[in-house]
This record gives sequence, structure tokens and C-alpha cells, in this order.
Amino acid sequence: MRKYDLITPEGTKDFLFEECLVRRETEAKIHDIFRGKGYYELTTPALEFFDVFQTESGHYPQERLYKLTDSKGRLLVMRPESTMPIARVVATRLKDAALPLRLFYNQSVYRFESALKGRSNEIVQTGIELIGSASHMADLEMVSTAIEVLESCSETSFSLEIGDAGVFKELMRELNATEEERENIRYLIETKNYPALNDLLDTMGDSPAIAALKRLPAMFGGEEVFDKAAGLYSNQRINMILDDLRQLYGEISQLIGKGRLTVDLGMVNNADYYTGVIIKGYLEGYGEEVLSGGRYNKLLADYGYDIPATGFGVNVDAIAKVAIKENPREVKPADVLLYAEPGYEMKAIQLAKQLHAESGVVTEFALLDDIDAVREYAREKKIGRIVVVDGEVTEV
Amino acid sequence: MTKPLRIALTKGRLEKDTVALLERLGYDCTAVREKGRRLILPIPDGNMEVVLAKAADVITYVEHGVCDIGVVGKDTIIEMEGKFFELCDLGFGRCRFALATKKDADFYSGFGVKTIATKYPNVARKFFESKNMDIDIVKIEGSVELAPLLDLADGIVDIVETGVTLRENGLEVVEDVVPISARLIVNTVSLKLRQQEIQELVAKIEEALKNND
Repeated sequence: MRKYDLITPEGTKDFLFEECLVRRETEAKIHDIFRGKGYYELTTPALEFFDVFQTESGHYPQERLYKLTDSKGRLLVMRPESTMPIARVVATRLKDAALPLRLFYNQSVYRFESALKGRSNEIVQTGIELIGSASHMADLEMVSTAIEVLESCSETSFSLEIGDAGVFKELMRELNATEEERENIRYLIETKNYPALNDLLDTMGDSPAIAALKRLPAMFGGEEVFDKAAGLYSNQRINMILDDLRQLYGEISQLIGKGRLTVDLGMVNNADYYTGVIIKGYLEGYGEEVLSGGRYNKLLADYGYDIPATGFGVNVDAIAKVAIKENPREVKPADVLLYAEPGYEMKAIQLAKQLHAESGVVTEFALLDDIDAVREYAREKKIGRIVVVDGEVTEV
Repeated sequence: MTKPLRIALTKGRLEKDTVALLERLGYDCTAVREKGRRLILPIPDGNMEVVLAKAADVITYVEHGVCDIGVVGKDTIIEMEGKFFELCDLGFGRCRFALATKKDADFYSGFGVKTIATKYPNVARKFFESKNMDIDIVKIEGSVELAPLLDLADGIVDIVETGVTLRENGLEVVEDVVPISARLIVNTVSLKLRQQEIQELVAKIEEALKNND
């Protein structure tokens, strides 16, 4: 019995007409920015081995993966993200390529989101990976490219947030925490759950690192964060991280002004593999970040090629959704409806081809029997011109 | 004037406690008190508006960013989970999740897999996962206390305030699962885009709570 032959699986949907149009326009705009900076496109398979997503630097929670097996019974997953597969490609086929590599991708990712929350399990992401440089200039290139992307999506209402995954990692290094404790602390900082974070850390003793972790989620805002953070914890590496981040903040604020730029040192979400500068981009009218990324210097080593990298991904579906809401539109009807009298079909086909080639006119053939039906159809589809092809060509 | 800050309140007791708190901060909540059947109510002098919703919906609205702030019980947060910031413990609406069984029954005895009746399957599952115990969960919508009395379940995981209902039905608490109180939650994007307004409000609330203690 066919029970599910007329619906799509939970978390997926069909995209029609203007949704596709706006999505393609969004992609084209963003890819133009990427190409303009020397990035080249690659695609990776939608299916990958499960193992690709289980690395030292971070593993994807298995309950969020779509899984299936290949003909030999090996475990496959639908790719839940693109950075890890790209790291795999770079560490294998691109191992001898000159560095840095500038790569961009545009492909769907698949992950189980909580059910019944109106979220999609299949989303299109586009993004860049800048691989093989740990320099400040590389961070700046990544962040400024992200800004250009956000600017191209919305002139007025975006904001960018920067942080550094290193601060949390350095502080945790001072703590003798089990993996489970570490994850609990990370989660409570991510959700800015001050009461629970304090309770948990209180059970772990009293040290400068613990005091600093307690204050970490509150370390967000504008430039004043750097002054607040100066007394957070004195450790050479953390001071260096903060100095670099402050420099980056100063440089980016020249690009977009301080109003749209925030800092959050308590930004510890995202994938585990981030090691340095991390960013998130927000658009007004969308309840989650639309862009996120950062530096991941250890991930490629997990695939056997120890080089630094940075990058970000953009949720194309989210941006297209905001764009449609801000600027609703309809798909344009064809310019001309072409009606061929019996015996003149080939002439009509020639004419349509010629019109399109010469002046970009969009022509539809009227697949109807008489001119009254053709008129009726043109009215319904809002096609402005009807052209009849017989011995001659007449517009009616 | 910017868009008002939208606050989702859990209807019922948490709503009353929150309104009392806001009034103590000096906001005019007349519209909320005299709401009639309206569901979106202005707090004119605070550039805020209040949305009244069921607990689980408060989380949904805040997660999607259609409300900036929410007030909701920790019980619903543990059950629903979700992506938002949980900024402060408001201190009211205190109670706890507890595991209860029939009086004098030894819940942990025997080798059989236990059956738990609850309105909060995720809370129950997480609690027993932390004990590495497999259990069968039966979801009950109404009075959970009935299930062990009717021998449908070995125990229940439910919210316990005073324990009177349990006692009157011959049940007793075996173990506390987790304490509960009302929490202030904030949408992750709102906190960043409207940081000043939200942090000022949170600071005021924390100040008021401190004076309360």
C-alpha cells in the first residue's frame, strides 16, 4: 500500500518558482563575491562515509545524522556540513596544490533538527574555505568576505559578531575537567545560563580560571568588552588572543562601523573544531544566525595534512526567506504567446528561437486549438502579447 | 521609536508573578492586568509588549525570535530543550521534579524493566539515562498519580510542590530529580541586536531579586 506517495519527508519541502528564483539570485550574488576574491568552486558527494565526521577535533552527534549503508554494508551518512568533507579532499587530492587554497561550495546539508519546530532538515549552504594560512591577513580576508556577503543580502539590517574559540579552550586547559564536565560547561556558556554555570563551577573548586569561566558568558557587547576582559585571566596566550581580536575589531569597525559589530567571548557554540577567530552573522527578521564560521587549525591534521585553515558558511535558504519577506515578488510571465496555425509549427519554432537569441524575448508556444482559447489563456497567465504564425507573422 | 521589546509570559501563575515583578520595577502593567481576551498587550512606558502563551509555546516563540524574551518554568525547558539563552533564575514558581511510587513499594528492587508514567517523557528518559537504567515510558496527559494506583506503572516522574496530592493518593517521593523555578530566556539574535535594552532590563530584574532575598 502506498501511504506516503504524495507528501515529502519531515523537514524537507519543494521549492517553487519565486523561491527558486530568489535562491538562485542570492547564490549568484554571493558566488560573484567569492569568485572576485579568487575562490574556486568544488562539490563533494551528498553521501560520505560516517567516519569522515568522526575526527579528533570534533564529531558530529550521531542522532542528528541521516544514515544508510552502501552495497558492502558500510555506514554512510548524508553530509551534515561541508567543511569536514572539504578537509578530506584537501588532505588527499589537493595535498600537492600550492597554498593557500581558496575554495567555495554551494550544496545541501542534511541534519535532523528537533521535530515540529518548523525547521528544515535539508538546507542549502554556500561558503568559503581559505586553507593553508594562519596569518592575520587570512582572518581579515575571511571576515571581510563574510561582511560583503551580509551587505549583499541586506544593506541595512545585518550585524556581525566576532569571538575567539581559543579563550574557552585555554581556560579549560587550566581545569582538570572530565570530557562530560567540559561539555556541560561549554553548553552552559553557550546558552548563557549563568545560574547553572555558577552552580556547576562552584562544585569544582575556586581558581582564577574558574572565576574567569563564570564571567565568560557575560563578555559580550561592543569595544568595552576588551577592557572588561583585560582583567579576566592573565595568561600570555589569552592576552595574545585578546590583543589580536581587538586589532581585528578595530579593522572591521572601519568597514562596517561599530554599531553593527559586536564581540562575544562566550561564543563557544558551533562545531568543536574551531581553534581561533569565530564569527556569526545575523539578519534582522531571522531568529538565528544566517552565517557562521571561524578558524580551524587542527581539523586538517585529523585527515593527515597538518595545515591551518579558516572559512564560513551561509544559510542560503534563510537569506532567501528574508529577501522574499522584505521584497515579495512574482515570477514574471512570458513576454509573448506564440500561436502556430496548422502547418506552420516549424516556422513558429524558428521564430521563437530567433526572438530569444536577438532580444531575449521569452516566448511560450500556445498548445491550444483555437485563437479564443489562446486569448483566454494569455489573460489568465498575464502574457501581454499574442503572435499568430501562419503565412505571415501577425501580432493580435 | 524602535519596535517594542516583546516578552512572552507563561499564562497563569508565572504570568502573575512576572507582572508583579515588572510592576515592582515601575512598569505600568494595567493593560496586562485588564487583558480581557487579548493576547498581545502593551506596557507603554517600557516600550515593551507582553504576549501570553502556554509554557511550551513561550519557548517556541522565543526560539524563532518572534518574541525577544520569555518567562517559562525550568520544567518546560528541560522537557522541550531548544536554542536560546537562559539568562536568569527568577526565583518564583519553585517546585521540583521527583520520582514517586506507591508508599512502601521498593522501586529499585527486582530485575524487571520499570514502567514510568509521566507528562514529561524527556525528563524521565534523561533521569534514568543518567542512572544507566532502561525504562518503559508511558505518556499520561492528566493526573499522573493514577497510573501506579491502577498498576499501569511502577512509578511516576512529575512536578511536586507540596507533596499533598501524592500523600492523599498513597504515593511518596523516592528521589528528587531536579529543582524547578521560573527562568528568563532570551532569543540568541535579540540579545545581540538589542543588547542594551535587554541587559538593562535583566540588570533591573536581578537588582529587584537581590533585594527580595
